[in-house]
Amino acid sequence: MSDSRDMKVPSVPAEPRNSFFGFLASLKFALVVVLLITLACVAGTVVPQGSQQVASYLMRHPEARPVMNVLSVLGLTRVFYSWWFVVLLFVFAASLAACTARRFAMIRRTSGATRARVIGSFITHVSLILVLAGGVVRVLWGQKGVIQLHEGEIATQAENVDAPIILPFSVRLAKFELELHETPASSAGSDKLHVQWMEKDLHVDFPVELNVEHFVIPADTPAGAEPAYKVTVLRYVPDFAFDGASGEVKSRSDEPNNPAVQISVAGDGATNTQWVFARFPNFGGHSGAVPMPLKFNFEAAQNPMTRGQQAPIKAFKSTLEFLESDNVVATRTIAVNSPFSHRGYTFYQLSYDPNDLKFSALQVVKDPGVPVVYGGFVLMMAGLALVFCVGPWLGSQAQT
Amino acid sequence: MTLLFNLSLATYFVALVCAVVFLMSRARFFDGAANLLILAGGVIQTVYLGVRWAQAGRAPFSNMFESLVLFAWAIAAVYLVLRIRTRLPWLTAAAAALSALAMAHASTFESEIRPLMPALQSNWLSFHVMTCFLGYGGFAISALVAVGFLVADRKGSAVQAETKTSLEAVLTQTISFGFLFLTLGILTGAVWANSAWGTYWSWDPKETWSLITWFIYAAFLHCRFMRGWRGRRAAWISIIGFLSVLFTYYGVNFLLSGLHSYA
Ligand code: HEM
Repeated sequence: MSDSRDMKVPSVPAEPRNSFFGFLASLKFALVVVLLITLACVAGTVVPQGSQQVASYLMRHPEARPVMNVLSVLGLTRVFYSWWFVVLLFVFAASLAACTARRFAMIRRTSGATRARVIGSFITHVSLILVLAGGVVRVLWGQKGVIQLHEGEIATQAENVDAPIILPFSVRLAKFELELHETPASSAGSDKLHVQWMEKDLHVDFPVELNVEHFVIPADTPAGAEPAYKVTVLRYVPDFAFDGASGEVKSRSDEPNNPAVQISVAGDGATNTQWVFARFPNFGGHSGAVPMPLKFNFEAAQNPMTRGQQAPIKAFKSTLEFLESDNVVATRTIAVNSPFSHRGYTFYQLSYDPNDLKFSALQVVKDPGVPVVYGGFVLMMAGLALVFCVGPWLGSQAQT
Repeated sequence: MTLLFNLSLATYFVALVCAVVFLMSRARFFDGAANLLILAGGVIQTVYLGVRWAQAGRAPFSNMFESLVLFAWAIAAVYLVLRIRTRLPWLTAAAAALSALAMAHASTFESEIRPLMPALQSNWLSFHVMTCFLGYGGFAISALVAVGFLVADRKGSAVQAETKTSLEAVLTQTISFGFLFLTLGILTGAVWANSAWGTYWSWDPKETWSLITWFIYAAFLHCRFMRGWRGRRAAWISIIGFLSVLFTYYGVNFLLSGLHSYA
């Protein structure tokens, strides 16, 4: 950590204060630019950004339309992509470059702790310029697109709003896999069948397990007596549909849009079969209906896959084959957070379709600026370590 | 598990009580007790985080609950490191209070260990959260010091100039520490974003606010070192900086929406 004693300001090389360069390199100018960028950043997070956010904001607050129009004319609804913000970033880079150039000459005139700090701040400033330069490289030469494939299909280009990106190779989706976390043992996340017997004031929950008999035993049953009723789940369908033509029950999809269970209830010398619907608790069709005192409720757990971001999805992965003149040159499985680069194009697992598990959407990014930016990151940490760790340490050594 | 959590909360709270008793009675025993209790609270929390890490099979830094626990931990850690060289009894009380507050606030959030969505399963993310919160811990302590300075500096105060100078030095130290770790946090976050989404920066509100915070503290450091800013002006910038930290952490989650809104 730094110490105030060894932080005396080294004298700035005599630069005519009124020269344009001197002005550009001055701390005052840099602070003004940073302040302007900061204000723009605040605006860019507080004002709705982009046509979608603006439209949804106006839906909720129609009275804000005049204000929003003014903000939009001022360019405040697209801050980070507006020309003036880009200009600000360039001025920022110019100020840093000027300051860095001016500081360079100073390094040789310093020694010890001061030198560590001057070199460190020099490196830090250079690293910021590198990061910004990397961003420019991305804007000028970067490409970004989406590839949608079914298993076995081959793509030679990626879709992009402007123009498709033609790849210098082709890519085949060999396999898509979706891995789920094991469902927790607790009943909170699973399907339940709730049984109610009004007259006996009885309420019980059974897990939905196919072909397992569950007994309904009222509290006033004498010991050793037969259970009053036996309940068995015969069938589960996630998306109930009745096919009128064949008279059969089907599942329209694997999504739990209309989950239902078919149960059999045996007791009192009769057996009833009936459907119980999670979404329609009062709609229970009996067949062979013998009147029985039991009422059923099917409490379906929300399906993990439709619960969006909280879903216990462990991973989704695509195995890709990269083909050049019909030869497989590389095979790689990519997943979220583990992309793969081939010839400068990086493939990211983007999304999948819960209704079609043979389908995968990939993002393809070509960003030649990344090494520049990452180089900047490494330099920045090195520079900061010099300023905040090495410098103060040398300073304290010199004092003892 | 819950026992360790409650124990560390209680330990910080008792530390606060001891520190306040020391401020009022000047009985040295209570100063020692308060500092040992903060150390104990930190150790218990470290064990708690370790157990949670083992149970979850991943770093326990992924939602509001876990991050608040980490925040309390970082505040205690930064305070304890600072305490090696600098003794400020009122800071003992303030740091214990802040850690206890963060833990108490954490207890209002859902603490169940949940599986992570794939985008959050990344070592870079663990580094990112860890470094950001160490930085936030440094900034939290610096804000406490800045408030202390403003109180010491008010008209008619009997505090000696020497004490105030040492407070200024502590302010600079803690902000330098926070800045180093915030920078590391932003950079590791960028690397993570690039490996998850193919973009290292997308002007998402949380990213943008962390940049705003970074700019404020960079301005502080330049004014401090190049212009020799000290005193009330420096204290106020560091308080504004910490308000920006709080907004980055809370405000963005609850007032603005974006990529980071899950945590
Ligand atoms: C936010 C972007 C930054 C801008 C716009 C900026 C700009 C400047 C400017 C204009 C100066 C004065 C140069 C002069 O008067 O010759 C300066 C000095 C300095 N900057 Fe920065 N800087 C930035 C970030 C940083 C960072 C992140 C650090 C690391 C802590 C840093 C460390 C320093 C140091 C230590 C000096 C004094 C150099 C010396 O004593 O030789 N700067 N900066």
